[in-house]
Amino acid sequence: MLKKQLTIKIVLFLVLTDILETFTHLCFKKSALTGSGFNAQSFAGIFEFLSLVFSSPFVWLGLLTVLSIFIIWSSILSKIDLSVAVPIASFSYILVPLASIVYFHERISMLRWLGIFFILIGVIFVSLSSAEKESSLR
Amino acid sequence: MKEGLVFILFLIVITSICDTINQLFLKSAINSLGESLSFNLIKVIQFVFKLARLPRVWIGFLFSVLSLCIWLFVLSKVDLNFAFSVDSMHYIFIALASQLVLKERVGWRRWLGTLFIVVGIVIVSLN
Repeated sequence: MLKKQLTIKIVLFLVLTDILETFTHLCFKKSALTGSGFNAQSFAGIFEFLSLVFSSPFVWLGLLTVLSIFIIWSSILSKIDLSVAVPIASFSYILVPLASIVYFHERISMLRWLGIFFILIGVIFVSLSSAEKESSLR
Repeated sequence: MKEGLVFILFLIVITSICDTINQLFLKSAINSLGESLSFNLIKVIQFVFKLARLPRVWIGFLFSVLSLCIWLFVLSKVDLNFAFSVDSMHYIFIALASQLVLKERVGWRRWLGTLFIVVGIVIVSLN
């Protein structure tokens, strides 16, 4: 039988995929900006937009990162439930603001702290639910 | 302008659904292999090659490409913050789909946690 236990190691790998994912989003946003003169009226417009986007090196850098995320992500999924892995991956919403405090000395508003607090509670509940499943199977 | 916003919201929902479908296909392919990996590089690479031979993974991949194309379009129109806060609903889709399709046991704790996360992400993204 498969063991589906959530370990610190898995959480760390989830966090790693998150950091990589944030990086891909930044790459994709940067490449999408090169094609902001987009018009959805015609198919020619769409192709023109896509060819502009794909000529940007950032989209390729993003895609390379997507490949490495896929490898890490599928090995994580071989160990735990999808409904546990996906919520816990939301940890990046906590890590990015914390990193921006430590490295960039940014100030975080009260409202944002509240949001971070909510996410943290959510992650704790989901982790607990994974432990609960483990014990009920035995 | 209002109509444009509704269209963008609709597109973000579509990307969320595509992402969910992609995850479902991937997870079901991984379940069908029935392996629990240790984080050993050679084993992981062998595993990924085995995975790449399953058609389900490629169907999921098509959905993620579709989702990426729509997402790129969405990002050219609205802020990343706004797009992310709407996209947070995909946590709910994932929980629903895991329960219904993959038959994972999503208990009240997991639902509550998921809802907390969605609320938290909306708060974090919108300010």
